[in-house]
Amino acid sequence: MERVREILRALFRRVLSDHGREPPTLTDVFVEGGTGWLGPQIGVVFSNGYRAWAPLQRSDEWRNSEELAAWELPSRRRAVCREAHLIYAEVLSAHRLELRQQRRSRIAQQIERLAQSFRPRRESALFFTVGRRLFDDEGSAEAQERGMRLLKENLSPLQREQYEKHRYFEVIGGRTGRRYRIRHGRMMNIDQLDAKGRQVCGWCFFPEGHLVAGDVMLAQKLALELFEAEALEVANRF
Amino acid sequence: MAVQIVMDRTGDTRHEFDATDAKAVALAEKRFRELTGRGFRAVALGEGSSPGRVLGRFDPTVERTLFIPQLQGG
Repeated sequence: MERVREILRALFRRVLSDHGREPPTLTDVFVEGGTGWLGPQIGVVFSNGYRAWAPLQRSDEWRNSEELAAWELPSRRRAVCREAHLIYAEVLSAHRLELRQQRRSRIAQQIERLAQSFRPRRESALFFTVGRRLFDDEGSAEAQERGMRLLKENLSPLQREQYEKHRYFEVIGGRTGRRYRIRHGRMMNIDQLDAKGRQVCGWCFFPEGHLVAGDVMLAQKLALELFEAEALEVANRF
Repeated sequence: MAVQIVMDRTGDTRHEFDATDAKAVALAEKRFRELTGRGFRAVALGEGSSPGRVLGRFDPTVERTLFIPQLQGG
């Protein structure tokens, strides 16, 4: 019977892969003994008219009859039908669970894409219409230069190297030991990372007063290293 | 010379003072109190890889004090 169960599971999985969004109801199972050159076969019929079948070995047929104690074709068919409904319910339940997981994963990916796209890029229309005032650097070129100089003077050699290469640097939270990446910018520019360097979430906090990017990043760095808890208390997580 | 660095829209404003000059130290302490009273956070900047330390009260022996305006969430 185990082989017949396997065949039925394979048939049901095939049906659900074709009609997975609206799974049809199993209406019938047929077992044909086989005549002439046609061997025995087992098939399933669904409410939407879909039919699928698979060949059976003669040995499977005998073992099946023996296990079900059903030697006549009609009684064997009834027994297989009962079993098939149980198996279909089981396969259907697993299929629905998988669909739910796929949906959750798709939603998570969409949220991630949305979060990524919300970070305005210089070339995007959003940046020019909305984000520029919020995200672009403040102050004169001289002020920006002073801010960058102050920042670089106070980065560790490793942070300075990272910043010059990638326009971001990493800091370790003084209280929690968490890893953060501060990207060049004035807001929505802090990523919390996991042990493998993947983004866990983003944090947004900055000092008051429309400061230049260098000052903002230095304030963020020192806050995370020296008074992390207070900084995260006012920060918004995204 | 010790220096107090205040972050502002111009990048920063620096106030140098001689730590051996009592009058200059008193002025620096007054500035410290005024800024921290307005919500600025005072940090003694570290050297090299050291991040420094937060200053709860004025310390005339600190060479470079940075004043960070109050933080806000965005």
